[in-house]
Amino acid sequence: MRSIIILALAIFLAPLYSALILKVKAFFGGKKGPPWLINYFTLIKLLKKGSVYSTSTTYIFKLGPMVSLSAAVTALMFLPIAGQPPLFSFNGDIILLLYLFGLGRFFTIAAAMDTASPFEGMGAAREAYFPIICEATLFMILILFTVLTGQLSLAAYFSSGQPLILWQAAGSPLLFVIIAFFIILLTENSRVPVDDPATHLELTMIHEVMVLDHSGPDFALIELGSFLKLFFYATLVSLLICPFSLGSTVADIGLFFCILVLVYTAVGVTESVMARYRMDKVPQFVLTSFALAFFATVITLEFMR
Amino acid sequence: MNQFFFAVALILYGGLVPLFFRRKFVFMKATGALGIGFGCLLGLVNAIIKLFHPQIYSTSFSYLNAFSLTFQIDALSSFFLIAIFAVSLLAALYSFHYMDNPAKALRTAVHYFFFSLLVAAMALVVTANNLISFMLSWEIMSLSSFFLVVYNYEIEENRRAGYLYFVFSQVGAMFIFAAFAVIYAHTGSIGFDAAADLPDAAKILVFVLAFIGFGSKAGVFPFHVWLPHAHPAASSHISAVMSGVMIKTGIYGIVRIYAVLDWHTALFGDIVLVAGILSGVLGVVYALGQHDLKRLLAYHSVENIGIILIGIGIGMIGVSADQPVMAVLGFAGGLLHVLNHSIFKSLLFMGAGMVLRKTGTRSIDHLGGLIKKMKITGTTFLIGSLAISGLPPLNGFVSEFLIYLGGFRGISLGRTDFAFCLLAIVSLAVIGGLALACFTKVVGVVFQGEPRSQVAESVDENGPTMLISMLMLAIACIVIGVFPTLFMTMAVKAVASLQLGYGAIPLAPFEQLTGNITRAAALIFAVFFIILALRTALYRGKTITRSGTWGCGFTRPTVKMQYTGSSFAASILEFFRPVAPLTEDYQKVQGNFPQQTHYRSHVNDIAELHMDRIVVRPILSLFDKLRWLQHGDIHLYIGYILLAIVVLLFFV
Repeated sequence: MRSIIILALAIFLAPLYSALILKVKAFFGGKKGPPWLINYFTLIKLLKKGSVYSTSTTYIFKLGPMVSLSAAVTALMFLPIAGQPPLFSFNGDIILLLYLFGLGRFFTIAAAMDTASPFEGMGAAREAYFPIICEATLFMILILFTVLTGQLSLAAYFSSGQPLILWQAAGSPLLFVIIAFFIILLTENSRVPVDDPATHLELTMIHEVMVLDHSGPDFALIELGSFLKLFFYATLVSLLICPFSLGSTVADIGLFFCILVLVYTAVGVTESVMARYRMDKVPQFVLTSFALAFFATVITLEFMR
Repeated sequence: MNQFFFAVALILYGGLVPLFFRRKFVFMKATGALGIGFGCLLGLVNAIIKLFHPQIYSTSFSYLNAFSLTFQIDALSSFFLIAIFAVSLLAALYSFHYMDNPAKALRTAVHYFFFSLLVAAMALVVTANNLISFMLSWEIMSLSSFFLVVYNYEIEENRRAGYLYFVFSQVGAMFIFAAFAVIYAHTGSIGFDAAADLPDAAKILVFVLAFIGFGSKAGVFPFHVWLPHAHPAASSHISAVMSGVMIKTGIYGIVRIYAVLDWHTALFGDIVLVAGILSGVLGVVYALGQHDLKRLLAYHSVENIGIILIGIGIGMIGVSADQPVMAVLGFAGGLLHVLNHSIFKSLLFMGAGMVLRKTGTRSIDHLGGLIKKMKITGTTFLIGSLAISGLPPLNGFVSEFLIYLGGFRGISLGRTDFAFCLLAIVSLAVIGGLALACFTKVVGVVFQGEPRSQVAESVDENGPTMLISMLMLAIACIVIGVFPTLFMTMAVKAVASLQLGYGAIPLAPFEQLTGNITRAAALIFAVFFIILALRTALYRGKTITRSGTWGCGFTRPTVKMQYTGSSFAASILEFFRPVAPLTEDYQKVQGNFPQQTHYRSHVNDIAELHMDRIVVRPILSLFDKLRWLQHGDIHLYIGYILLAIVVLLFFV
């Protein structure tokens, strides 16, 4: 029951947290920024509308938003949000989740290719490319975590108190892992410096250009899906940053949502102080995360054995 | 055993009869397809029964009064027989509507003859139980598939492909012969069982020789060069059989030789694992660069053979490190991937065959938008693409999941094993990502968007037997993906027959793993259907309009502006340029009113590139120098024979 409430809370709050990024960016730009509830307003507005479909599209175009949202929702069910036990967990669930995000990506790309638009093809090609390196990094981190805990599930790594064990076993190399995770967060969720969600030039975009043709409720599903996906990665980072358990569930949850503010603010600050990389520089940036994860693993194992 | 031979006889009969009825084209096709189909069905049922009643069935014939031909069916054989018969059954069904040219009646009849021979030979290869019967079946398999590759022999490219395949399969067979000769020289027996008594050095030699021989059949990098040439040349259902099951006989050979050598060293595992990683990563990189649909699929066979070998390698490392769970996970994952790959790869080849039949082209960049007119082909191809990318809830994920779990077990081992398992896991992740990129390219460019040329505009998907075959394979992908327990049990039973010293393998822990997959799949479907219901409710009473794709302000878009397969893959290939050098040929666009221009690109396979330089040219120049031996004087030829016999008498 508690897990369900927290899951509902997470799904409900995810758009609010994404608005935080906009607020931080507005602050850096010296602006007032949009209202806090902007994302809810957008979702409601979109849900009220009808849709326009391109004559080039098929049923795959309509499947795209649904599959990517399903993947994100399912992933949250396995996630120990705020360190609380998740709804489901089994040995190897993290592999399933990574491949599930892959399924979502497959359909997002397929939906983009469905429109016959050259811009969307361009975004699709990039969306197919960068996550390959992310996956390698994530599996590298998994190897490290499996060595440290002997298990292979999100609950085993991130449940209340578990991250502390990771810190005790690995020590400072875990800092590398956090940075690697943060880079993956930026890449997988199409943030600056990999992608710029606020740009107006389609040529430079990745995720936003792929969903150009979606409209109405379909687009709302996509937006919700991307809020949830960002929430998923931000949760992982914040559980690593703050591995402590305060002893009471309510305090833990409160602390977690405060730390989450820090992570989203960090995303906002990154977006404000950095420019987007040139497309051919992006792989190098993402590869940095792999190098960090690799070093963290090697260093940890060297000292453990 | 009798039922098995009856099935094989029925298959051969299905191949013989069409030769006499070439004037009645449809009847001839029906007898061929039905004969082979019924034989396969019988064999399939028989193999399933045998797999679940683990017991060794064997029989023996005397041959030329000198040798005995022994055949034996254990669980490993049954497992491979299931894949062979299932895919061949559907391929035979598919062929009925695919072979649609009455002008080539004789050729079609001959094709059925060699097709039946190929299926029968494959079945005999995986049941052969001594060196002679194995090599005999192996050669029949190689030769019959050679004739199927050169089906369209008028085209020079196909003859070259056939020649290349012939050379590779014969050189590969030489290596296997050499391996068997080492066994025979040490034991003096032609049975497989005696090989366990070999000294360790000889075992290494046997394994390496056999691995090269079997690897060249399986398409292991760098011995895969024939594969991307032979598959596009053969008819599509033959490509499905060759890529789906024939190359798996190479995997069977590797696993069998490992079992009979009965030496659990980590060295074998390391060799297999490294070969698997190389094949897996490079196979998918080259696949990404292809412009020919069937060539692309052929390179994906190299990739999937890599995944299978990674699984088997992890299994072997697990055996040597005395980690039974890891060993079973690795072997079972690898073997299950054999079955899975045979299903989705034949599905994809059949889909490619349908596209080829209806559009007349295999060039990816000339196609587009096919799913609108070819709904079943497009949808089944999409399912096959999801499966080959290893995505849940389809069958490709199940086997990769087991291999991953095996690999993760291995990272708690000592340094060397840890390093190999780390490499295996990371490369599996990279392979998965690249396969996803490659199949979004294929589905996106071939089946979605708008037609890029005339040929892709007016198409249909007539051919009921072709559609039925594809549908059944697509359903199999989903069933195995959602309910993998039964199929994993089959793989575990096959592993048990490898005699790894574990006795009866308890199924419960593995059933729990696959049970988790079933529950997760159910969860995914549940979430999806809730969202689907939500979406349907949200769209109730809304206005839905159709209009052109938004061109970002550009008002006169054309289909030529679409992203092509080449541009989709370009940036990823750029990343892999050191191993996949690109040859480009284009004229720069110049001036305000540029002339017509062209762009041509080709991704070079480094194995092909260097094999020519390192192996082919030195051998050719050597043989050039020996040309004086071949002078045409028959007397001297007889002299050579005499000399050879005398020398042999002295030394043997």
